[in-house]
Parts: sequence; structure tokens; C-alpha cells
Amino acid sequence: MQSTGLLKPYFARTWPIYLGAFALHATASVVYAYFPNLLGFFTDQLQAGDLLRSDVARYSLLLLTVGAGHALLGGYGQYLIMYAGRLFDYLTRRRLYTHFTALSEHYYSRNGTGKLLSTFMNDVTGVRESLSMGINQLAMASLLVVSCLGAMALSDIPLYLIAASVAPLLFIPWIVMRFGPVIRGRSHQVQESLAAMTASAEEQFGGILVTKTFAVEPIMIERFGADVDRIRDHQLSLVRVSSLFQALIPFLGSMSLIASLALGGYLALAGTISLGDFVALTLYVRMLMNPLQQLGNVINTLQRSRASLERLNGLMAVRPDIVEAEDAVPARLDQEAIRLRDLTFSYPGAPEPALANLDLVIEPGMTLGIVGRTGSGKTTLAKLLLRAYEAPAGSIRIGGTDIRDIRLDSLRGQIGYVPQDGFLFSATIRDNIVFGKRDAGQTEVEAAAKQARVYDNIVAFPDGFETKLGERGITLSGGQRQRASLARGLLKQAPLLILDDSVSAVDAVTETEIVAALQEERREKTTIIIAHRISALKHANLIIVLDGGRIAQRGTHEQLIAEPGLYAELYAIQEEGGQHAASR
Amino acid sequence: MPQAVNQARTEQGGEPSGGLERKPKPRYRSAFRILGGYIEPHRRTFALVVLCTVLAIAAELFQPYLVKVAIDDHLMAGDGGYGSIAAICFVYLGLSLAELVFTYIQNNLLQHAGQSIVARIRKQLFAHMTKLSMSYFDKTPSGSLITHVSSDTEAVNQFFGQVLLTLLRDGLTLVFILVMMFQLDATLGVYCLVLLPVIACIAIAFRSYMRATYQLARTRLSRLVAFVAENLAGMSLIQAFQQQHAQGERFQEQNTSYFQANVREIRTMVLFNRTFDLLSNLVIAFVVWVGGKAVLGASLEFGVLYAFITYIRQFFQPINAITQQWNTLQSATVAVNRIWSVLDTEPEIEDRPQAVRIERESVAGRIDFDRITFGYEGAEPIFRELDLRIRPGELIGVVGTTGAGKSSLMSLLARFYDVQAGAVRIDGRDIRDMAQADLHRIVGLVQQEPYLYAGSMIDNVRMFDASISREEVIRACELVGADQLIQRMEGGYDARLSERGSGLSAGERQLLSFARIIVFRPRILILDEATANLDSRTEQLIQQALEVVSEGRTTIVIAHRLSTIMNADRILVLSRGEIVESGTHAELMARKGYYEELVRHAHGEPELVTALYGAGRN
Repeated sequence: MQSTGLLKPYFARTWPIYLGAFALHATASVVYAYFPNLLGFFTDQLQAGDLLRSDVARYSLLLLTVGAGHALLGGYGQYLIMYAGRLFDYLTRRRLYTHFTALSEHYYSRNGTGKLLSTFMNDVTGVRESLSMGINQLAMASLLVVSCLGAMALSDIPLYLIAASVAPLLFIPWIVMRFGPVIRGRSHQVQESLAAMTASAEEQFGGILVTKTFAVEPIMIERFGADVDRIRDHQLSLVRVSSLFQALIPFLGSMSLIASLALGGYLALAGTISLGDFVALTLYVRMLMNPLQQLGNVINTLQRSRASLERLNGLMAVRPDIVEAEDAVPARLDQEAIRLRDLTFSYPGAPEPALANLDLVIEPGMTLGIVGRTGSGKTTLAKLLLRAYEAPAGSIRIGGTDIRDIRLDSLRGQIGYVPQDGFLFSATIRDNIVFGKRDAGQTEVEAAAKQARVYDNIVAFPDGFETKLGERGITLSGGQRQRASLARGLLKQAPLLILDDSVSAVDAVTETEIVAALQEERREKTTIIIAHRISALKHANLIIVLDGGRIAQRGTHEQLIAEPGLYAELYAIQEEGGQHAASR
Repeated sequence: MPQAVNQARTEQGGEPSGGLERKPKPRYRSAFRILGGYIEPHRRTFALVVLCTVLAIAAELFQPYLVKVAIDDHLMAGDGGYGSIAAICFVYLGLSLAELVFTYIQNNLLQHAGQSIVARIRKQLFAHMTKLSMSYFDKTPSGSLITHVSSDTEAVNQFFGQVLLTLLRDGLTLVFILVMMFQLDATLGVYCLVLLPVIACIAIAFRSYMRATYQLARTRLSRLVAFVAENLAGMSLIQAFQQQHAQGERFQEQNTSYFQANVREIRTMVLFNRTFDLLSNLVIAFVVWVGGKAVLGASLEFGVLYAFITYIRQFFQPINAITQQWNTLQSATVAVNRIWSVLDTEPEIEDRPQAVRIERESVAGRIDFDRITFGYEGAEPIFRELDLRIRPGELIGVVGTTGAGKSSLMSLLARFYDVQAGAVRIDGRDIRDMAQADLHRIVGLVQQEPYLYAGSMIDNVRMFDASISREEVIRACELVGADQLIQRMEGGYDARLSERGSGLSAGERQLLSFARIIVFRPRILILDEATANLDSRTEQLIQQALEVVSEGRTTIVIAHRLSTIMNADRILVLSRGEIVESGTHAELMARKGYYEELVRHAHGEPELVTALYGAGRN
């Protein structure tokens, strides 16, 4: 079965721990099962009248030994199993993370990070729970049940009495299994209605201004009230089953005791069994209640975690889309031209190609500008050059080699990429800038920051380059983020730099400065500038205009504004739009 | 009003603004007083709950006593026939049934009362928040509002669902067990009682240590989650920069530190549980020793010893349960206090007692800003004695740089804030003398970012007001030109929209908010940059819709795109809280002032524009 994919290597590594834990549990249970018997012997000796003071002390000590033995041995066994469970968390997450880093962008865009994160956290925890809680309880409970039944059978208590006394208890696992899913289903409803109320509150507070301007507060309060009432109804429907369940288990225990009292009492009166046996029997019945309940729980836990395990194994079975060829060779982007020949690319599952019949040569050292509307394929081209998506064989060549035959680390190591969103990690600013070149010195970092026009902003922070970003640090503005991410790309000093609309949130003055710095820094080095704003790329040696995935126009800025077409149109619009953006 | 402001400030100061690092100290007294007020109406139910609990526990704890009777009086003595054993069995059965029934009733009653109280608190809290003024929402991040409504009330719910139940049930169980023990044998009882403080001390000491290890594990877990979430989001970048290995190492650091915290946590937990176990066994051995000697001396019946052993085994469970609830009790107390500080916040803007109700239809729409002075809390005044008069039905265009006060002026008109001096009047009546509900129906506002709710297209236009008919909504959509796009959507007018109005473009969403205006018929309409963010095709649609909605209304249009306001009856140029120019497009062009310069820059020379406005950006 496929479900063994993750578990097999795990158990191969941890079986000694489990074996030790089982042995400990088994010993502990056998020891513990002696407890009622001891009290039984005590009773019998007492009744027979040959109990001495020294015997009392001996019995107390024996009881203490049994209790302590069970507590210590069982405790260590429990610890071992829980430890092994956490080890599963640890090992599995490590494998998952490594797997994540190999998955392609396409996989992420299709699945969404939320779902992956949930698998990473919740499903791993779910499986671990059934491994540690489940196995723990299963081991503890089943061993205890077996030991108790064994001890009872070995004692003088007749088997039919045992059978009659234990019979009601056997319903416990059945009840647990019956009620478990119902309770789970209803508590799931409670969770969902809670989530719905939170979402409703989010919506209300987000639109509070609208609510107020239309003076519809009473209506919104009423809508929220309906969500609140739904939670209450679900909670009450949950408590109806769960409280019945909680009351039923002790009730069955009582039934068992009544059976042993009725039958055992009769037999004791008749002299068939001793009073000691009777005492031991009632104690055994009490001892059995807990483990039987746990057995029911275990079955529920295992059922629940099976789905989790399947999801995890499914995730691990996903093959990365982009894999390095066996005989991949390094590339020299500083010397070799990039040739696109009849490049047509569609995203998997998309009806229309994102890029169609592109023919283009990017000579080393040139600056290429790419303009076009949203969705015209600009970013797609950048992603193909990074081999984040796979272009058809032969359509992208570097020098004479197909991009698919180039080593990934060589290819990506020579490309500096600056994405539009200015994504930064929750680390220090310095850590972010040196992201692609971790051994960079302070002078290099500062130079890159200056080129990206973010240096002044950084040194204005009290901690300068060591300022922490993100959740536990400060938040940069959109423009600052873009410029920091630009510094990260520049620091890499890569033979090819791709700026994917990287300065869109930067104001026009700074943009001009950055463009000037770029021209200086990227002299002799290949640079691709993708932009919405023409001002960012009009200095390029060649500008291509993408429209619906095709090259609609190509030429220099001067050539393009002279001919009628999309470029001139965009240019005209932007002169007005630039005003609009500027005055905001 | 200043008092209200201060109150809001102290309330915020009481917030754990630094995240979950340091919890505010729970104030139990006030929390219990507050909750007491909510319990009051349910006191009969609570009395019943207590009664049921007592009965259920009595039924449960009486059971070992019955076995004791069977042993001592019948089995040990060897007298009496089977009849008395059978009788005991029947009593036992009766008691078990009673326990079952009363436990069930008690649980359901308590939950019913608790859930009703929590629902009431939630509704009350939400209603109160909705009525708070806009300044409160400006100051308080919506995340913390949502926390109040969902997590804080959930903590109160846990108080009723868990804490109260445990305190009641396990507390009473403990008392009952002690009573039974003393009833059975006072000497043994005293011995056991001596142990109680010892157990309690161990439990408390362990609990606080466990809490520390637990919190450590939680903190590291949340770091791990944050790290992975961020890495998943930035995976394309990690791959583009070939940092898979380096990031993997960083991940391993987090993973290892979480693992270590976990191991520490389980070690503590196992140790705690087993110490309790050991203690319970120690007590049993002790009781057997002391009691056994007493039995030998015939001062104690064996059945008593048996019952004692059973009770001791039951004794530890409630202690454990109560200490477990300690955390929940703390967080519930903090939550209650937080909820109350919100409920204590007075809206800064409230209807005056003598506020009059006004018929919307009777409003002509004259607006007077009468020598108003206004500034945001703690900031320099934006307007000083500003005077502006707008005639009924006039179409006013407002232009100006960021921070000139355009939006603030409109917020004053909608009375999201109160002026500090002077007055805003509609038809000559001070808006502070109107009921807010009426004022807001008179003044309609369309924002730059239209906000849509999860619900049908119809409900979004009529804002869930069922008194507005479907036909009316459809007519409004036809008027603004939204009809076609709605027909095109799957489900038409019943198509469900999600919160952010996915499936609709910015322009289409804006058309819906125009339809709202038609349906709600305000007499005065404010468009606050309602046409920004639109491509030129949609802008045309909006422009047409604007002509429809401004018909017969006093309309104020704030805009960046000059084309939107060129046809206005009057254009105001606002700069630093002052109206520097005023007139029609032609007049202002002729004046060759600020406006004319703006228009000139709109048609070229972007560098100049940047020089003019660059400072206001970023």
C-alpha cells in the first residue's frame, strides 16, 4: 500500500524505541494487574484471622511497590513513545521542507500555500498523534486489559463470573466508536460556525464606513446575530450527544459492578468464592474501565489520521516539474546570447497560450526593455528564462545549448531576479540584501543599497542594516520594499539581471535616479527591464512590446514613439496617468 | 468629548500591544462581578444545575459505600440471605441511573445557560462596536476588533463550558469524598486531609512549570509556522536565488528548537502525571498500613478500608482537573476584562438628546460649512474658520493635493468627526442636532474602493434591507448601466459575491455602489475619488452613471482626474485647509492660477508635476 511511504523509513529508525516502550508497558501492566489480587489476599487473610501486624506492613509495602513500579515503568514507556512521536514530527517536517524547495512554481500557484501549510502543520500533527497517543494508549490499554483478564483468569475467580462482570464493559469501545464520529462531526460544525462568525465580523469591520454611511447598522447587527445564534445551536446540539456519551461510560462501569456484586455476592455467600476474590473482582472491573475507553479512542484517532497520512504521502509523491537533466552542463551567460526561437508557451490547463511564436536574440551586454499590458506575457517570459516553468524543447537556447540541458544552479546562479512584489523575508535588512550572496562584505551591501536608492532609508533606522523586518520587526513601505529587493538583485552582480516591474511603487524622481544608476552599474552586462512605465526602460538598446503573448512591436524608444501603435498609445496614456499617479 | 478620547486611549493602553508576550494581570473580582450580572437572569437554571450536580455526585460517590455495606454487613458477617445483596444491587442500579440522568441534565442546562450568555455578550459587543465612531476604527486595527469578538468571547464560552463545570463538579466531588471519608472513619480522614495541602502544592508548582514549558513550545511552534509560511510564499525567490540549501538549514534550526521544546514539554508532563500516580499509590499503601493495623485492632471494619481505597483513587482526579482549568480561568478573566473595556468605550459622537428626526425627502440639500475649525486628535488643525456654502442641487468638484483636507471635509459633513468650532449645517440645521441615522441617510458617500459583502448581488445593492424590493434594485442597476454586466454573470442578480467582490472588476464594483445610491436616495452625494483606479473604458461607464446619480442631488466630487469634474457647476481648489480658488472650469482657466497649472501639467511635462507633488507621495 502507498500509505507506508512515510512510515516505513520512520519505523526503520525508531523501532528500538517502540520495542523498549512496549516492553516497559507490558511489565508495568503485569505488575499493576497484581494490585487487586494483593488486596484480595489481604482480605482473605484478614477474614481467616491469620493476618499479623507484620503482614499489614508487608502488604502496604507490596502495594507501594506495585504502584511505584507501574508508575515508573509505565511512565518511562509513555515518555519513550511520545518522544518517538515528536521525532516523527521532526523528521517528517524536515523531509517535507526539502521536498517543498524542489516543487515548482506551477505547483504552488495551483495548490496555494495555505493548503500546503495546513498539510505541513496539521496533517503531520494528526499522524503523530495517532503514532504517539494512539500507539501509547493502544499499548497501555491492551496490555493492561490482557494483564487484568489474565490475572483474573489465573485467580480463583470462576470464568463465568468474570465473563458476566466484564460483559457490560465490552460495550464501552463500541459506544466510543459509535459516538466518536458523531461528536466529531458536530464539533466540526461548531468550529465552522465559529469561523463563519469571525469572517462575518471581519467583513463588518472592514466595511464599517459603508455600513455607517447607509445607516444600516441595525441590519448588520441582525445579520451578525444570526451567525451568533448558529454557533449556539451547534454548541447545544454537540453537548446533547457529548454529555450523553460522557454519562454513559461510567454508567456501563456501574452496570459491570452491579453484575459482579449480584453474582459475586451470591457466590461469596454460597462460599464458592472467597471474600478476597470478590474484592479483587470489583477492583479489576474498575481497573478495566479506563483502558477500554482508551481503546475506543484509539480506533477513532487512527481513522482520523489515516486521511492525514494519505495526504502526506500524496504530497511526498509529487514529482518536481523542473528536474535537471542527467548530463546537464554549465552555461556562460556573460558571453553567450540567449536565443528564443518560435517560443510558444501555455500554462498547464490554460486554454490560450501565454506566449506565442516569440523570436528574439538577447545579446550579452545589451539592455532589453519589455512593455505591455497586464497579462501580455511579460512575467511569463522572465519565469521561462529562470526555468521556473518549462519552455518547449529547443525554444530557448543559451549559446548553443537548450535551457533544459543547463545545470539549474549554473543558470539561476547567473541570473539576478527582482520581482515586482518586493518580497522580503522576516530577517534583518542585511540578511535580505545578501540573500543571493551570503558572504558579501559590508561595502558591497552598502554599494548595492546606494545603487537601489534605499541606503538613506536604511541608515535612518536606529539599527541600520541590522533592522529586523516582518512580523517581529518593522514594516517597510511598498516603495522601500521594492528598492531593498532591487538591492538584493544588484548585489548578486549577475551576468543577467531581470527587473520584473521592480520600481512600479517608486516615485518618478527616485525612479530616474535608479535608472541612471542601473545604466552605470549594468554597463557591459545583460539587463532585462520589464515595466509598465515607459520612463523606466526608454534607454534600452531594444524594446519589445508584448500584446496577447506576441511581440507586437520592436525597436528603440525613438523608433517606437514615431510609429503608430501600442507603444505610442501607452506613452500618451502614461503622460496623463503619470500625472494622476504623481498627484496621489 | 475629550474625556471619551482619553478613555479610548487608556483602553488601548491596556491592550497587550506587544503581542502575546506578556499577559495583562487578570482582575478576578471585576470579571466575576461582570459575569455575575449575566448569570443573574439565569439564576433559576444555575440553581437547577447545582442541584443536579449535587445529586449526580451524591449518586456516584454513594456507590463505593454500598459495596462497603455489602462487604461489612453481609459478606463479612456472613449473615442475611441473598435478599439484602439483591436489594443493594437495586439501590446501586437506581443510583447509577440517577447519576446518568442528572449528569446529562446538568450538562445540558449549564451549556444552555452558558451559550445564551455568550451569545448575548457577542451580540452586545458587536452592536456596541458598530455604534462607535469612525475615529475609534481609525485608531483600532480591525484585527484586534475581531479578536475581541471571536477569541475573547470564546474564552468566556470556555469559562462556562469548562471552568464553571469543573469548579462545580470536581470541587463538589472533592468535598463529598472528604465528607464520606470522615463519615467512614475520622482518624483515617484526618490522615488523608493532611495530604491535601501537600498534593495541592505539588500540583501548583508543577503546573506553573508546565505552563512555562508549554508556552515555550507554543512560541517556537508559531515561529516555525511563520517561517514555513513565509518560505512557501517566497519559494520562487528562494529557487531563483538558489537558496534552497541555505534556507533548509535555517529551517532545521527552527525545527530542532521546536523539537527540543517538545521533548521538554512531554518530559515535564509525564513526570507530573506519574508523580501524581505515585502519590496516590503512596496514600493507598499508607491507608492500608494504618487502616490494616486498625482493622487488626478491630477498631475498623474491612469494608471501610475498602471504601477508603476506592475513594482515594477517586480523590486525585478532581484535583488534577481543577488545576488544569487554572489557565482557562486566567485567560477567561483577561478576556472578560478586555470585552468590558470595549463596552465601556463611549462613542465619541452621539445623538444629542434633543436631536430631531428629519424626513429625507424634505431636505433641499443646502450645505453650509460655517466658520469651522477642525484638526485630528493631537495634530495641528486642518481647517481654521473655513467658510463654504453650497446651494441645493449644485455639482461641486474638489481638487487639491494629498493632505489638503478634501476627505476630512467630507468626513465632517457625514459627521464621522465633530468640528471643534463653528458648525456644519444642512438646510440651515446644525447636523449635530440631527439623529445620526437620518443624517447618514441624507448624505451618501461613494469611496474609492467599493466594499462588497458576502451575499447576493441584490442584497449588496440594497444592503440587506429586505424592505427594498427586488424590482427597485433592478431598476437602479439599469439606471447606472450595471444591468448588462449583472445579466452576464452566472445567476444574474442572485449571483453570490464574496467579501472582496471577486469576479468583478474595480469599475463593475463601483457601478454597484452607484446603484446603492440610487436605491437609498440620499439628498447629498459625495464621491471620494470614486473614479480613480479605473481604466478609461470603465471610467466612461462611471461618468455616465455619475450623470444619472447626481441628477436632483447636491453632489460633491473629489477627483484627481480633472476630466471628471470639468463640467461641475463650481470647482474648488483646496490647499492646506483653505479654499484657494473657486469657480467654473472656464473661470479658473482664465484666472491662470493653481488650477490652470494643474490642467497644464495633466497634458504633459510630467517632471514638473512630479516636482509639484512628489513630496506628497510615498
